Amino acid sequence: MKWQIALGTLSVVATVIVLAIVAAGEPRRMAGFTTSYQARQVETGALIFENSCRPCHGAQGEGIEGVAPALNAADLFNGNRLRAIGFAGTVQDYVRATISSGRPVPSSGTNYPQRMPTWSQRFGGPLRDDQIDSLVAYVMNWEERALQGGAEVTQAPPGEVVGTDITVPLPAGNADQGKALTEGNLGCVGCHILGATGPAWLPSGDTPGMGDRAATRFGQADYTGHAATPEQYLLESIVLTNAYVVEGFGPDLMPANYGQRLTPQDAADLVAYLLSLR
Amino acid sequence: MALFRVHIPILDEVKSKGLKPALRDKADDLITRVTAGLDIADVRGVLRDDPPGRPNPRLKPHAEGFWLHMKPTYYHNLVDGLYPTFRLGWLSVYAFAFEIITGVFLMIYYTPSPLIAYENMLDILSNVPFGRLMRDMHKLGAEVMVIVVALHMLRTFITGSYKFPRQFTWATGVILLGVTLFLSFSGYLLPWDQLSLWAVTIGASMAEAAPPEIVGRNLNLIVRGAPEFGAGGLLRFYLLHIIALPLAGILALGVHYYKVIIHGHSLPPGVENVGEDTARKVPMDTRTYFMPTILTRELWYVSGLTFLLVAYSAFIFHAPLEPHADPLVTPLHITSPWYFLWLQGMLKLGDKVLWGVILPTAIIGLLVSLPYVEVGPSRRYGDRRIGLSAGIVSVIAFAVLSYMGTPYYAVPTSPDQEAVASLLPQTQPGPLRLAPWGQLVLGSYEAADWQQAPTPAMRELLHTFDEELTRVETADGQDVEGIMVVEDWQTDLKKVTIRVVWTDAATNQPHEFSQTAFLHRNSDYGQGE
Amino acid sequence: MSEAVAPTPSEQAPSLPLTRREFLYYLWGISLAVFLAGSGGATVWFSLPRFREGEFGGVFTIPVDQIPPADTPPKEFPEGRFWLVNVGQQTLTDPRQPPQYPESPGVKALYKVCVHLGCIYRWVDTNDRFECPCHGSKYLKSGSRIDGPARRNLDVFIVEAIDAAGDVLSRTEPAMNTLEGTAVEPPPGTVSLRIDTGRRIQGAFNSKPGGGM
Repeated sequence: MKWQIALGTLSVVATVIVLAIVAAGEPRRMAGFTTSYQARQVETGALIFENSCRPCHGAQGEGIEGVAPALNAADLFNGNRLRAIGFAGTVQDYVRATISSGRPVPSSGTNYPQRMPTWSQRFGGPLRDDQIDSLVAYVMNWEERALQGGAEVTQAPPGEVVGTDITVPLPAGNADQGKALTEGNLGCVGCHILGATGPAWLPSGDTPGMGDRAATRFGQADYTGHAATPEQYLLESIVLTNAYVVEGFGPDLMPANYGQRLTPQDAADLVAYLLSLR
Repeated sequence: MALFRVHIPILDEVKSKGLKPALRDKADDLITRVTAGLDIADVRGVLRDDPPGRPNPRLKPHAEGFWLHMKPTYYHNLVDGLYPTFRLGWLSVYAFAFEIITGVFLMIYYTPSPLIAYENMLDILSNVPFGRLMRDMHKLGAEVMVIVVALHMLRTFITGSYKFPRQFTWATGVILLGVTLFLSFSGYLLPWDQLSLWAVTIGASMAEAAPPEIVGRNLNLIVRGAPEFGAGGLLRFYLLHIIALPLAGILALGVHYYKVIIHGHSLPPGVENVGEDTARKVPMDTRTYFMPTILTRELWYVSGLTFLLVAYSAFIFHAPLEPHADPLVTPLHITSPWYFLWLQGMLKLGDKVLWGVILPTAIIGLLVSLPYVEVGPSRRYGDRRIGLSAGIVSVIAFAVLSYMGTPYYAVPTSPDQEAVASLLPQTQPGPLRLAPWGQLVLGSYEAADWQQAPTPAMRELLHTFDEELTRVETADGQDVEGIMVVEDWQTDLKKVTIRVVWTDAATNQPHEFSQTAFLHRNSDYGQGE
Repeated sequence: MSEAVAPTPSEQAPSLPLTRREFLYYLWGISLAVFLAGSGGATVWFSLPRFREGEFGGVFTIPVDQIPPADTPPKEFPEGRFWLVNVGQQTLTDPRQPPQYPESPGVKALYKVCVHLGCIYRWVDTNDRFECPCHGSKYLKSGSRIDGPARRNLDVFIVEAIDAAGDVLSRTEPAMNTLEGTAVEPPPGTVSLRIDTGRRIQGAFNSKPGGGM
């Protein structure tokens, strides 16, 4: 029985020692867990951004002119954007509020006709509070790089722009260049599905693709624009978006500023690519 | 002088006996009250293991005190050692007490609401001193309790102790086993992470299968508080976990204990004549008294187990905490808790009603009624070949069914997803998240060229990936290619895309499956939790 | 229990007369049993969650005149989180309709959440289909998935056709082979449809490009 007493005592002493070791490590452990959890929030937020925000705000948060503003931008983090609209809270509050409740009206003085939808479940969106928190953590993680200059944002090209006159002669277009443009910062694929044949939901569709539709549509009875060729029709659709709105769609859905963002060469490349979709 | 004379008895005693004897008498009195019958000399006698006086004063606490009236005053020498009881019953009770204590501490920081439960878990882990230890001990204690209780039952079966006259003790024991399992199961949901939500959803889907349909549907509603787990279900499971089940456990435990006192501990099979039970007629010379021998033993077991539980949860075992529960995303390879895997295995065999409801009910019914329907009176191993064989077969069957309950058995997932999940599993961190962040070098890599990867960690990852791709090949995939792309994404954040591209041999169609993970420098999945 | 008690010798049981006192005790016992049975029922009723009429999770009653006519665009009921569609012949014979899901004509209540990752899909009239804005899953009016990362058809709620007397004339049943919810064609005499948003039937497995198992 003596060895039982000894072992029992030893166990108790050892337990106390273990607890003391744990106690000594607790401050560090708690700090470590906090750091790692914040890091995991960024990871989670990145996935949500990739799934839900990327189509409009760009893969790197660089924004898409005419669709959604840049988040990976210095003016968001240095307070200029908040001052411009008179928001009194912190950047984090601003980001959370905007993600949660969306934008019922567009920000003043911008060319973003689309409204940001609400994302929080509290306002009818799909995301839970913890997901919103993660998303905010991810957006806030851009701060350092954004203040250093942010992601490359395509500015209006230097020199000549194509304008809104659809009858100007365009240079010869390169379809491959045009395809690259649609996938770049112009934001086309954010809204359009570009398949070779229509309808886009069938792998082997037999209805006309975008190029075929362009060839016939300006001849239709309800056509309200001024195009006389398929090229002109496509250019008109890009730069004069409300000249003719296809039935079933509302006006102002397409940003109206492409005339100021595209060089004649870009426009020609785009048109050439779109015409190849048949 | 004074109008009232204040009467203080101790002063009178000091006056009559002197200071020291008066204080000693007072202390003696106090100790006698606390121990319910033992004075200082008696207590010292116990500690010194002196032979007790006659009448034995050490029996008094059993007769007069509350706690010890639940313990027998003496055991037969033959049941004092490790065999035949292994002290498993005592250890079960201790595990229960351990769970209550750690559980009460956790309750201080926990709110049963889906809006905040997960945040509470993070708070316990990140901002409560000893918070993680408390949680780990509670979780580990729960698993240990399930194991100890199950072993206790197995032992009782093997030594035949469930037979006459202890049938009802066994029946209450079956209830206690059920309480233990459901205590553990109901606690699973509370952290409100992906593992808890889905493991419990899988388990609770059995309620829905109960026939007829109207019973199943309403049972499901009562259990979950809504068609799906949500605020109602979490609260219900919480109340079950902290009130209803512990209360049921304490009641059943009381009955169980009382029956043990009434019948005594059954002697090892073989020392008595068949059909005889002499546990209550222990001759004086074969008695081991509770005080001090058994008390010491039990305290030593408890001290030892406490040390093991504390040390194991402090250094090795860390309860997992997965991402926040998401009712819309079912993780790949999710399973029910391990002690319900056998049920999952049975469910894969066929009809949900037969295998998931009728058979488990039948098993419980069989367990409860076993001592009443089994006719053989002999507890000797040699006389119970059929019974013991049936027991062994049942244990093996449970093991096999449990294996069948794991995702390794017959879960139809496409091989491309399995290959990607080998690096990026959805129920645990997995190799990619555990890989050292600094060793993930930006670039695009092919699994087949794993030897050319720049760092050891990447070579290992790509090698695993390459081996897993053979699954796709065996499933009639041609030109299988595995690609891993590492990109710099944000400050301290890398994006890793894992992609499988192959051509279906039958249809000649190209296929692709990819999954993306973002990895932060500080996410530190290697903490073991 | 009585296992330790010696068996009672049979001659010890002469038939004693039932006294009034004993009888009253039995009566008391019976009344207790009735009380316990009643409380048991009350407990079940108490713990069954209830959903208010017209609240998500509860039952929605839609008068017949609010049902969209067959083959017209679906109608959204935001407070019930479902779309009411009326599947007509034109929808059934749509060449895009995957053949594995034989649809019968009638009304379906489609849960408005995409079965892929829980986004809210929308009706796009030009394309005559539902489209999910998040990842591009596409569903026909019948709820059948035809494209995108979703791997099953849309979930439906149970629809019951109710006549003026309040009797159920017809209701959503699991389809023969796919087990998804069938459409309900309101029989003559139907005055309203009852949609139970607490009972959702999952759409059938559907993963091929263009739709199909």
